[in-house]
Amino acid sequence: MKTITRIWKVNGEEKTVKVPPMRRLLDVLREDLGLKGAKEGCGEGECGTCTVLINGAPMVSCLIPAGQVRDGTEIMTVEGLEKTEGGRLLQEVYADKGSAQCGFCIPGMILSSYALLSRNPNPDEAAIREAHAGNLCRCTGYQKIVEAVQAAARKWPGNK
Amino acid sequence: MTVAENSRKGLVGRGVSRVDASDKVRGLARYADDLDVPGCWHGVIVRSPVSRGTLRSVKLDPACDASKAVVVTAQDIPGPNIVVMHDRAMPLLAFDEIRYIGEPLAVVAAPTRRQAIEVAEHVRIEIDELPAILTTAELVRKFKAGELKTGVEQNAPRGVGGFAGGAPESPDVLCSQSIVKGDVEKGFAEADQIVEAEYTAGHQEQLYIEPQGLVAIPQKDGGILIEGSMQCPYYIQHELHEALNLPAGKLRVRQAAVGGAFGGKEEFPSMLAGYCALPAMKAKKPVKIVYDRHQDILYTTKRHPVWVRHKTGVKKDGTITALKVDFLLDGGAYLTLSDVVMYRGILHAAMGYRCDHVFVNGIVGRTNTFPSGAFRGFGAPQAIWGVESHVDALARACGMTPHEFRLKNCLRVGDTTPTGMVLRDSVGSPAVLEEALKTSRFADKFAKCSRGRKGARKWYGIGLSFFAHGSGFTGDGESKIGTKVALDLGFENASPVVFIRVSSTEMGQGALTVLSQMAADGLGVDLDRVRYPLPDTGLVPNSGPTVASRTTMVVGSTVYSAACKLRQRLEESAGRPIAGSKSFEQIASKYLAEHGPLRVVEAFKLPDTVRWDQATFRGDAYPAFAWGCNVAEVEVDTRTLEIKVKKVTACFDVGRVINPVLVKGQVEGGLTQALGYAVMEKIGIKGGRFDANRMQTYVIPTALDVPEYDITFVEYPYEFAAPGAKGVGEMPMDGLAPAIANAIEAATGIRMTDLPITPEKLFKEVTTKCAKDAK
Ligand code: FES
Ligand code: FES
Repeated sequence: MKTITRIWKVNGEEKTVKVPPMRRLLDVLREDLGLKGAKEGCGEGECGTCTVLINGAPMVSCLIPAGQVRDGTEIMTVEGLEKTEGGRLLQEVYADKGSAQCGFCIPGMILSSYALLSRNPNPDEAAIREAHAGNLCRCTGYQKIVEAVQAAARKWPGNK
Repeated sequence: MTVAENSRKGLVGRGVSRVDASDKVRGLARYADDLDVPGCWHGVIVRSPVSRGTLRSVKLDPACDASKAVVVTAQDIPGPNIVVMHDRAMPLLAFDEIRYIGEPLAVVAAPTRRQAIEVAEHVRIEIDELPAILTTAELVRKFKAGELKTGVEQNAPRGVGGFAGGAPESPDVLCSQSIVKGDVEKGFAEADQIVEAEYTAGHQEQLYIEPQGLVAIPQKDGGILIEGSMQCPYYIQHELHEALNLPAGKLRVRQAAVGGAFGGKEEFPSMLAGYCALPAMKAKKPVKIVYDRHQDILYTTKRHPVWVRHKTGVKKDGTITALKVDFLLDGGAYLTLSDVVMYRGILHAAMGYRCDHVFVNGIVGRTNTFPSGAFRGFGAPQAIWGVESHVDALARACGMTPHEFRLKNCLRVGDTTPTGMVLRDSVGSPAVLEEALKTSRFADKFAKCSRGRKGARKWYGIGLSFFAHGSGFTGDGESKIGTKVALDLGFENASPVVFIRVSSTEMGQGALTVLSQMAADGLGVDLDRVRYPLPDTGLVPNSGPTVASRTTMVVGSTVYSAACKLRQRLEESAGRPIAGSKSFEQIASKYLAEHGPLRVVEAFKLPDTVRWDQATFRGDAYPAFAWGCNVAEVEVDTRTLEIKVKKVTACFDVGRVINPVLVKGQVEGGLTQALGYAVMEKIGIKGGRFDANRMQTYVIPTALDVPEYDITFVEYPYEFAAPGAKGVGEMPMDGLAPAIANAIEAATGIRMTDLPITPEKLFKEVTTKCAKDAK
């Protein structure tokens, strides 16, 4: 099968992958790069568990063919969060507020939080809900997610 | 000793962070599909394309090269072809009569999923099709026509698989059971008026976000290890070891991280484990099956559809004189555990209110559809949907407000339930009702409801529900199953820690944290001295399944008393008390050095006063009841008839709250599932098949759909299970749907009796009402 080579910056490190162009980014991350944090809840772009940040924007990796991700693209998965100040903060408040129950939605959810706060460090509740509307959670009822994002916003790097 | 005195570390009642949070927020928790199993093959299931028929043959097309695959059919099953469940009637793979579309006929396994699919496409099936019953509506029609014969008509004691001494029940009846208190006909004779109505609800999908997934790994000793997503490791062993012809101990079951379950991973994994284990045994390779979302929605259990009919006698002053309830569940093609779902249903169908004359008739009917199964609440939400909708109708019939009527009639200390249980201890009624009415300012708001007022842009309504939920297994079941727990004192990196050994699983509800809190509290140490590895039947005793809101109350209290015992043993050996983690470390290290590892085993016991007669369904139906009251406020757009649930105020008595942060989160999540059940989640049967198969067609609430939640707790500890927790997991699923329906009636003047309540259904009713009003 025809493969292509791509060089991406994954969680801050340069990674070279050789993959069939139509292989899903989710599979490349999970299987080729061993980043099992991203999850498959539906495979159809509806649940958001496979969310990763592509150049800072949350995207569902189950719908992205690896060939479409250009060389030099920055990809951040849940495993990369702790390398950033905001990411560590989010992990801390998610833990404190009891925002992760079964945890299956969390890798995607917390990346959506990170993308939101990076873009808008002072979101109101409506903006928070909007930013997480693509991440389904069956456990929490979302309240504890909203509370975590609000708490993180109060301490977000650059916010005083 | 009071709970406060007993609590050594003050960990009980504290909102400590979840012990599994760190792994989960870092993406390190390993779920079924994340397990790295070298050389693992993939399994694919070949299913029946018809709802009912006789299977003539299942064969691989000889032209197909299957040298790199294995194909298993019923002939390959080493033991009896059954998944045990409650009646030993469901085959692991169909071999004779096929009873539902999608019923597994064969499993193909190969080194890759693609190879397995290719071979599976070459499996040829011959079936003679037979007529089938496909809908709950058809069961209801039969019931009304007197065609569903149960023990009631024939006056005989009933149960699973017919009843003692009588003729068998109709083939469309999987089981039946009644509850009798007083004489319901006498009660009707005393009534000033009789109020009758029917309520219905369809299937509900658990829609845990992690799909079902298991792997079966052949072991050197000839046994099999099952690992993956599940609620009840010992269930898998019990349901399956006969079919696999293995001694129970050689079917070892280990839980991986579980991405939500809600009952959906209670009994279904026992079937899936079989589909993995059979080809694994034949190929002598590990075989895994992880469902994609389509398969998961189409081919796993759902909440039972229900039809419930209430006939109630009331006096002018609002006294209830008679409660008669027919409660019919659609069990799907096999009984599995539907009898117990129905039992919980009938035990809650007339619960909550004082009445001397009660008759509840419970039936599980059979249709040729996927077997219905466990889902948070286990029959209670269906029952409470009926009774709490109906109570509003009763209030109106008596000219009373819904809250006055409930306050007048609700069960209180000293009252008797439908099974004759006298409520004595830990009764959060009417406290939850009073508290929720007060915090929501119900009376004021109820007076301001729109009631379908003409000319408004939006209609406002408020409604409530009040209910109890039995904690743990029915009757003396908790004593009978002999819940066992063990605590192991040992070293970890040269410092002493205590390992909790129980079969209770973490599936998001917080068991790891709450049980760790209870153990640490009993020991008098900090949380970091306690470990709670995910259960593995090779290492933990059987503490029962992780179901029925029993884990914190039953397993937790047993862990707590084991911890107290362990502390005592250590203190006795040291001759001084454990005062915090430091002194624990000294005392425990010394003990371990001198005597080696220490295990304390403890079993759960109910007080002898609990009495239950399973044959007559009389007595103490549950060790304790938790209590709840939900208030819903809705807004209905008068043009689109879109229903927006704006606010939910809820008060619960779940006994002693062990972790206030976790319990709130669990309740918010449960209420959100109940919101979905009430107004969003819709899945029907079309041609015998579920008519939704993806998250786009089976729609659950998102962050934008949930209302504001105002949740409070009143604590009436259960004193026979220190530190006093009752069940909580299922409660938030119980009462929101009727509260919303009641609010919708207050908003629109229309009573909706079928779930989910969608704008389309509401539109139909509004149009009918307009036409009627115009006449
Ligand atoms: S797995 Fe990608 S959105 Fe669900
Ligand atoms: S925490 Fe379970 S799905 Fe969100």
